[in-house]
Amino acid sequence: MTRLPLIRFWRKSLHNSLKDWWRAPIARWGPFSFAGVWFAAPLLILAVSQSASATDIPNHPYLSELIQTASQTKLVESREWHLLLHYRINVFGGYTSEADDPQFFLSPVGRTDPQAELEATIRSLFSTELVGSSKQPARCAFIARYHWLKERLAIDESKLATVDCERFELWFNELNAESITLIFASAFLDNPASMFGHTFLRVDQKGQTEQTRLLAYTINYAAEVPPDQGAFYPIKGIFGGFKGSFMTPPYYLKVLEYRDIENRDIWEYRLNFTEAQVRRLLEHAWELGNAYFDYYFFKENCSYHILSLLEYADPTLYLTDQFHVWTVPADTVRLVAAQPGLVKDTKYRPSRRTVIQRKRELLSGEEHRLFVNLTEHVESIKQETFVRLPIQRQAFILDVTSDYLRYRSETDKSHASVYKEQNRVVLADRSALRIPSEDVKIEPFSKQPDLGHGTSRASVGAGWRNNDTFEELSIRAGYHDLLDPEIGHTQDAQVEIASLSLRHYNRADQTRVERATLVNILSLSPMDALFHGPSWKFNVGMNTIRFGDCQLCSNGVVNGGIGAAVESHWLKREVVFAFAEAEANYSRAYEEDHRVGGGGTVGLLSDLTERWKLMASGTYLRYALGDKSDDFRWFVGQRYTLSQNWALRLEYNHRDHDNDVMFSVQAYF
Amino acid sequence: MRKGLIVALSAVAIFGGQLSMVLAAGVADNGPGCGLGKELWRDQNTDAWGKQVLISTTNNTILPFQAFGITSQTMGCKNGGKFWVEYKTSMFAQVNFENLSQEMAQGQGEHLASLASLMGVPAEHQGEFFAMTQERYTTLVKAGEASPVAMIKALNDAVATHPVLAKVSAQ
Repeated sequence: MTRLPLIRFWRKSLHNSLKDWWRAPIARWGPFSFAGVWFAAPLLILAVSQSASATDIPNHPYLSELIQTASQTKLVESREWHLLLHYRINVFGGYTSEADDPQFFLSPVGRTDPQAELEATIRSLFSTELVGSSKQPARCAFIARYHWLKERLAIDESKLATVDCERFELWFNELNAESITLIFASAFLDNPASMFGHTFLRVDQKGQTEQTRLLAYTINYAAEVPPDQGAFYPIKGIFGGFKGSFMTPPYYLKVLEYRDIENRDIWEYRLNFTEAQVRRLLEHAWELGNAYFDYYFFKENCSYHILSLLEYADPTLYLTDQFHVWTVPADTVRLVAAQPGLVKDTKYRPSRRTVIQRKRELLSGEEHRLFVNLTEHVESIKQETFVRLPIQRQAFILDVTSDYLRYRSETDKSHASVYKEQNRVVLADRSALRIPSEDVKIEPFSKQPDLGHGTSRASVGAGWRNNDTFEELSIRAGYHDLLDPEIGHTQDAQVEIASLSLRHYNRADQTRVERATLVNILSLSPMDALFHGPSWKFNVGMNTIRFGDCQLCSNGVVNGGIGAAVESHWLKREVVFAFAEAEANYSRAYEEDHRVGGGGTVGLLSDLTERWKLMASGTYLRYALGDKSDDFRWFVGQRYTLSQNWALRLEYNHRDHDNDVMFSVQAYF
Repeated sequence: MRKGLIVALSAVAIFGGQLSMVLAAGVADNGPGCGLGKELWRDQNTDAWGKQVLISTTNNTILPFQAFGITSQTMGCKNGGKFWVEYKTSMFAQVNFENLSQEMAQGQGEHLASLASLMGVPAEHQGEFFAMTQERYTTLVKAGEASPVAMIKALNDAVATHPVLAKVSAQ
């Protein structure tokens, strides 16, 4: 099955097979490449510029005047200059730009010297030399800087070198921008790179309708991963080994990717920017086309750089400053949504899977049977029971059948052609009905991300373990576990990264690291007649066990499992799951310090009320290697949501002769 | 525990991955550009590179749009914007062929509305356009399976002979 986490490797080989294609000339067809129409113009400018490069600009009196005004008005200290150049205060108290491309700077020391860069920028306005990796005159390549300087220094354009920014104008006119929308594609656990979601901007066009917004361009920041990266590519991604840059694919491509192929819900936040602010944002985006940034998966990622564009559009916004160690896409969405008046409206775009599930709810029992039948045998369309239905219902059933067959062709690639063939027959029959489909309003299963709890969590708890009492402090870097309030988060998807719990045992008078998690991922995919995706889990961490003579012993754990889940609605919503799993433990408590074995888990996740959730699970593991032993454990946990960022928990853990009860208060931030 | 930590770290590295990494770009500037592209559009059947586009998107990569601002100067598209308009429509039809066939059969949808707008059908006459595509579904899809350009041509012909659409569309 292609939905395992380790498809990374499968993808790798696919990447390799595609590498020649990426190198093909087609890869150069940017929507704006047609600017190449102006092929001849830059050559002309180049010829002219030979005699007037930046280095030998005569000491123009106006140039000295501008530099002087700039220094008098302390332009170099203004926030906008820092935003334009992406300067950050470095450890020595000076400035360093986050941009890593030397061509982004006009001064050779510009990356660390805002003053030198400012002067070099003013000087470049008198030159027609082609600069930056886009090879344009400075005023065009760095058009946002120019327009900002022009306004702040009241520059008289007639005294500067004459240039024509046709390439920019073509690009700008093609975008035909009216407003900007922040797009959030929700988390997708089956691709490790997408576990935290993704954000990008859509440039909404003038005269765009609800439907033609598909044609708008987007501004997407992503790392460029060259082919043949080998096994170290994720490590390089985390530590800045790749270059990230901005691109502008049309929105329909992103919709295809997220909605149709990866089945991720999309949220669209239209921002309240004025026309001037939209222009500033686009001018700065154009400049950034000249730059690359070293891509850091955790902090300087897509969401971080998207925020920096918003900041330049409206410098009264302080967004990137809020993120120090990591920038989680959902956090950036919450931050943007929390700015007063910034978000105009929010729209939801369901994934294909959500569409199918919601449409199913509108089918009667009989209709649902026909639908499932149709997905298996297209011929059943001729059945009397189907033909007898009103034509609108026939159309509705055929529509959801087609949705489902498309879903299958994307998720079961090895049989894609079969599903496509079936879909073709269904659609031919559908077209013969000659009525347009009615619009169906699709409600999301989990609410919009800005209503979700914060990414990090701190908790304070107390409880009993065996004959002792304890207090506990916990902190978790991210992101969400199955008992956390699920509003705004992908349903049944747990991703925990880096958590640590410290406990003080009162009677033993001992303070110790009780638990630590490096990564703990669990994905439940409820199965039924139509959806067959497996559930899976993976956990690396440590806990504290009572084993043999050892009362409190550290125990390293690596656990992975694959299983299945079923959803029911007896009370509100329940998910029952079962896993087959393998586990390796490392602890001084064991003979030979380790044990390796396998077993299984069954469990239940249940929403008792809107705020109250219960989880119960039982696990049996038999260890055949190392310390030959077995382990039977129970867990019952409950969570009660107080508010968006506060919750209470009561948890009970049982192992052989080891009982642990804890009550805790949890805060998300 | 140290050994365990190393194992664990490498595990997280494998699972780490990147937010929206793109495979692509950084392509050497050696393409003959526009001319070849045009040929490709004309001759290629739907599956050839369109499929690869789709495959590439499954890998959380995006299309071959190079970083903007660095737009190529060597495309050699001498015919200006005209080619682009044609190209934009074919590219849309190519990438969204599955969505378009579905919506044509269903007689409505956002992809179909977007295509209508690219083809210059005024918004108030979209209904007629939708009905026409539903009626000619089989022919249009057959053309689309041959090539997106053929489908656009079939659509253009259908619009040209349509009693209402022929008059109102900006061709």
